[in-house]
Amino acid sequence: MTMKSSLSLMAMGAALALTGPAWGQERIPPVEILTTTESYDPIRYEGAFIIAEAWRELGLEVTVSPTEFSTLLDRFYTQQNFDTVIMGWSGRVDRLDPQFFLGTLDSRQTEPGANNPGGYVNPDYDALFDAQSREFDIEARQAIVHEMQDLYMGDVPVVVLFQRDEVVAYNHNTFGNMNAMAGEGLYSEWVPMEAQPLTDRKVLRIGGPQEPDNVNPLASTSVWGWKWMRLYYDRLVRLSPEVEPLPWAAASVEATDEVTIDVTLREGMTFHDGVPVTAEDVAFTFGYYMDAEYSYFNAYLAPLDNVEVTGDLTVRFNLKEPSAPFATISLSQIPILPKHIWEGIEDPSELTPEQIPTVGSGPFTFGQFSRGEIMTLETNRDHFHADEIAIDGVEFMIYADSEGVFTGMQTGQIDMTAWRMESGQIPLAEANENLTVISVPDFGYYHMTFNLRHPAFEDREARRALTWAMDRERMVNVLLDGRGEVGTTVIAPVNAFWHNPFIERFEFDMDAARAGLEDAGYSWDAEGRLQR
Amino acid sequence: MSRRTYLLKRVLQAMFSLFIIATILFFLFRLGLPDPTAALITEGLNAEQREAVRVQFGIDKPLWHQYALFLWNAVQGDFGVSFAYRAPVAEIVWERLGNTMVLMLTAIVVAYAIGVPLGAWLSWRRGSRIDTVGIFFGLMFRSAPMFWTGMIAILVFGVWLTLMPTSGMRTLPYEADGFFDKIFTLDFLWHLILPATVVALYYLGSPLLIMRNTMLEVYGEDFIEMARAKGLPERRILYNHAARNALLPVVTQLAVTIGLAAGGQVVVEVVFSWPGLGREILNAVRTSDFPLAQASFLVMAAFVITLNLLVDVLYTTLDPRVSFK
Repeated sequence: MTMKSSLSLMAMGAALALTGPAWGQERIPPVEILTTTESYDPIRYEGAFIIAEAWRELGLEVTVSPTEFSTLLDRFYTQQNFDTVIMGWSGRVDRLDPQFFLGTLDSRQTEPGANNPGGYVNPDYDALFDAQSREFDIEARQAIVHEMQDLYMGDVPVVVLFQRDEVVAYNHNTFGNMNAMAGEGLYSEWVPMEAQPLTDRKVLRIGGPQEPDNVNPLASTSVWGWKWMRLYYDRLVRLSPEVEPLPWAAASVEATDEVTIDVTLREGMTFHDGVPVTAEDVAFTFGYYMDAEYSYFNAYLAPLDNVEVTGDLTVRFNLKEPSAPFATISLSQIPILPKHIWEGIEDPSELTPEQIPTVGSGPFTFGQFSRGEIMTLETNRDHFHADEIAIDGVEFMIYADSEGVFTGMQTGQIDMTAWRMESGQIPLAEANENLTVISVPDFGYYHMTFNLRHPAFEDREARRALTWAMDRERMVNVLLDGRGEVGTTVIAPVNAFWHNPFIERFEFDMDAARAGLEDAGYSWDAEGRLQR
Repeated sequence: MSRRTYLLKRVLQAMFSLFIIATILFFLFRLGLPDPTAALITEGLNAEQREAVRVQFGIDKPLWHQYALFLWNAVQGDFGVSFAYRAPVAEIVWERLGNTMVLMLTAIVVAYAIGVPLGAWLSWRRGSRIDTVGIFFGLMFRSAPMFWTGMIAILVFGVWLTLMPTSGMRTLPYEADGFFDKIFTLDFLWHLILPATVVALYYLGSPLLIMRNTMLEVYGEDFIEMARAKGLPERRILYNHAARNALLPVVTQLAVTIGLAAGGQVVVEVVFSWPGLGREILNAVRTSDFPLAQASFLVMAAFVITLNLLVDVLYTTLDPRVSFK
């Protein structure tokens, strides 16, 4: 090559470089948005298209893949084989403690199958996570939890799209004093204890499209199992309707120091078979759960080292490490099992439905569970709380789908819905003169999680820009019909104590999205495709 | 070939088919459905905890090991324990199958009891207005999706007129001592009417149209001409001579329908919250409950195979021209 030609080549290169920053840049590879099928959840399905539309405007090649739900879970959590996913976490009452949701961004949860499939790694965040879980001073813990939300929001590894209101209904001619609870709707443990019958029928009828997998307290892995079992098993602590820990079977819960919790039981409690509830039963239950190959409660029990019986009605919980949520959340989740019944059972996971003991000490006693048809409970008149309970029992009608539940509401077969109504049913319920419709804000959330290993999402600035391009206002107004709230952080606004209201909002703004991309060195090629 | 060797051969063939189906089902579900513990993620279980559940379910072992175990147990009549219910699968399937069959058989019997004579009668009145109306309604209910007719039926008879119960097999709660105690009650009949009618209307079209069309073919046969020449009354020609010969395809159709009935009509079971096998299969596949899904489909397959076998044997009685060859 002659000197002259190489010079001209250089000049050409310089000229090209001058035409824009585009020279030498590569197109951002296409991205796939995984979401649910339309029939599983039309809202997440439509939401994906709203996002895709805006991202295409930004020059990204986007496909939307509606995926069957369990396959979706598998690809997201187990295989981590995704670019970006629209998913959700349900608001279970024990998740009001910030521990669980904050944990979904902990870097120690990034391995396949764990709760941080996006792969967000931030050592500062992890350090704060450990600090808050050890902090017993509630104000100090609140400060750390607020800081964590602020910290991760700037990096947007996950975008909370919206919190969807739980819309439920009850028949106001048959029962009164029906108070919905955040995250639980009407099917909380309190509604059966508070409901006031308005007719001669004193049995509260609940209808739902879901049923327990089984009612074996050492095998059930579904929230529907526990929503039912908690009515006939007592716990040391129950979370009040205002979601404050309330000593229940415990007369008192006292933290002697950071790793020692002393619990004194209420006097005079008996199991449904008449045997008194003692400290032995409590210690046995916790030990039994720790020994069993049953993992549903493992996360709650993880901080626990052992339980000592210190008296007839007193037990001491010795923790391995300080754990703020243990005294409130863990003690409110584990049922008290009768030692005299369970100690003889070697492998509780092998129990067949007929063999499963259903003796608890709760405010209701177990009646029957006929799969696919009905479950019943009767009020336990010997319970310490019995005087407050106005109903004689509970019947849970199991329907095949929410359409059946709604027909049950219309025909007066049931008094309340256990699960949210479909959007099409809400106006019908509102027009029905027998029904009262309640919207309950949820603290579970629907989110879009980026796979931070994907070239389109590895860059913080790109994620921020793409977040500006998400019209979440439209999702709430159009898809949820206004029954919900635009997402903020993983700790929902309704969870007011822990929620940090002073965080970056990322309100829909396509110009900000474009500017953000440009500032971060992105540009667009001749076909308008995003490149870097 | 003697009747006995023929039967033996057919039974062996049937068993072989079942084995093949069981194998396909085993691998189909395990390779095609997601991990049964995937749903536990939303319950907040981490990878280690899920692994413990996998060990409990026995799906941590290599596939061939699981397969050998499955075959060995199946031969002994043990289809395992449902992942979700923690109950022996056989019990669940039998109970559900009973619920489904009582609904389906009622509907099928009604549909064929009405459809066959009606089809014969329509063929006799072919070309008349009543024939057109009959065909129209037969085809309409055959083409209308059952969830739609079911929902309309619920809306009209359950919600507007409040005449009929809209869900379940019995008024809840009820106490029953076993299956027959449950179904031999007026309350059960009351709950059966609406779903059975919806299914029967759907099934009515097949026997009606098959019967009508085969009858028309039979009318052209010589032996009908012969019967007419003998001066037999039209009614007797229709029901004794033509109808008997037209029955064969209807019997085949009936057997296939009963065979497939074991799986239930999922949509009807869902719309009416009927606790049948179809609804259970749907749940089992949704939750990747392998043992339950396998056993349910195997029962369905066994039904179809057995009824096919039965029809082949029955043919030799119904139609002497068919012999064991």
